Amino acid sequence: MSDFLSAFSIQSWLESCPQGYLDSTEYGHRPGEKESEAMLDNEDFLEQEIRTTVQLVLGERAALAASSGLINLAPDDPSRMFLATQTLDEARHVEIFTQRLYDLGVKKSDLDGTLANYGNPNLVKFAEVLLEKIDKGDFVAGVVGQNIVLEGMAFSVFEMMHATNEIANPKFAHTLSGTIADERRHVGFGENRIGSLLQAQPEKKPEIQKMQQEMTAHMLAVFSDSFAESEEVIQEVQTSADPDAGPAMYQGVDLNTADSEEMEAVLSNTVIGEFKTRLARIGLEYLPPAA
Amino acid sequence: MSETVEPHELSQEDFLAEVHSFQFWLEAVDGYLGGTSFGCDPDLPEQTFAGEELEFLITTLCNYCIGERAALEASSGMIRFAPDPEAAIFLATQVVDEGRHLEVFVHRLKMLGVSDPWTEIDQRANHSLLKFKDRLLEFVDQRDWEASLLVQNVILEAMEFSAFQAHAASADPITAAVLTGVVKDERRHMGFGENDLGRKLLHAPHTRSRLNQIARELNTLALSTFSEIAESLGLQGETDVSANYLATMDRLGFPHG
Repeated sequence: MSDFLSAFSIQSWLESCPQGYLDSTEYGHRPGEKESEAMLDNEDFLEQEIRTTVQLVLGERAALAASSGLINLAPDDPSRMFLATQTLDEARHVEIFTQRLYDLGVKKSDLDGTLANYGNPNLVKFAEVLLEKIDKGDFVAGVVGQNIVLEGMAFSVFEMMHATNEIANPKFAHTLSGTIADERRHVGFGENRIGSLLQAQPEKKPEIQKMQQEMTAHMLAVFSDSFAESEEVIQEVQTSADPDAGPAMYQGVDLNTADSEEMEAVLSNTVIGEFKTRLARIGLEYLPPAA
Repeated sequence: MSETVEPHELSQEDFLAEVHSFQFWLEAVDGYLGGTSFGCDPDLPEQTFAGEELEFLITTLCNYCIGERAALEASSGMIRFAPDPEAAIFLATQVVDEGRHLEVFVHRLKMLGVSDPWTEIDQRANHSLLKFKDRLLEFVDQRDWEASLLVQNVILEAMEFSAFQAHAASADPITAAVLTGVVKDERRHMGFGENDLGRKLLHAPHTRSRLNQIARELNTLALSTFSEIAESLGLQGETDVSANYLATMDRLGFPHG
């Protein structure tokens, strides 16, 4: 265990993150980069971006609360130190996505109202399921919920958004690149650390699977709501896009031509596929949401 | 801070958001952690220690770890009840700072030949410091922001700042370099605590009497810890090590007699 945890030390984190891929960045992107003019000039596109970014802020706030709460539940100091780096990563994500809302024209005084107005209630429920485990002091369930389910979802969502924005909005794509690198590290810790703890406490498995099932149900509801709400805007964006821009490929699907239903399907299938793989690595079977 | 921002032109609210941000932390630590490994230049020469001198240093570092562990647990616990998102983000930067301090002190213990630092830390723990930690975590568990901030970001941080600064002045080159980096972080944490608490006391003076009582209670434990650290380091008595701590308490008008 200690050998694997040494790869998750604060020294390694300092070298790879603040002194590595975040070096010379400003709120996660290259200095001076701006949001796409075409998006800022179109009221519908802009509202859609604000709505999407609100979900990111809420998701990251939940991750910040969860990872900081896990520190005091950790069974050893090296795990605590890794979770300290994760706490700061999540805080950084809250900050850069909040900053993006400001860049999209949301006033600081309207931040709370914007979050309340656009926040998806299913995302709030998703976070509540996780935070309940942490409030009860359940470290193993907390890490599975946070580092496998939440982070696994965030990882796939960010990758899909990165594919969409790589050409259309490099500033946001660069912001996402750093968060993807962070999430990869978090998921890696979850898989490595929890496998051995679950082996020692197999009686915990049913309860953890129930949590995964509930979180998955809320997650799929968020995806369903989000793609349904953005159906028309997606069509409008695709119609007005530069025809020479080339495809935006994600998991074999061109996001520049796919409709919202196809997008929802590819994202849901990717996340669930990731859950199955990662849960199997720690000795858990994925359970689909109850009918 | 980004180059386009002129701090003096910011409103108080924007200024606080700026200095409590990850971005600010990133640029601050880059200045003194760049090129270091576990808090110091990896090429610094190791000093040879006499038997008793080494024992005292190990005991002292173990107790620094107890303090840093308390700070890590308290600052992470405080995130959930921070009064605003900026305070939560600042505390997250503090969490990683405290984790780093624990890591660099543990690494230093390993360099000094301690094969199992975690066990050693528990065995050499100072009882006053352990009591102090328990009391701090009680306030955190109760989600008492003012009390947690006073005990964590004012008393504990000022205590660590004073002890580390005094120790760095007489320490071997590696320990001194490690301590100097840690002191720079502690200054930031103390600034946050003093600023936030100072503003709160201004708007809610009635909270002072409650905080005075807490300060009085924990001051005894703080001074007892200083006394033991000074003794184990062979420094000239309690006053030298605790001078900065006492000045901070004076500045905020808290009792320490």
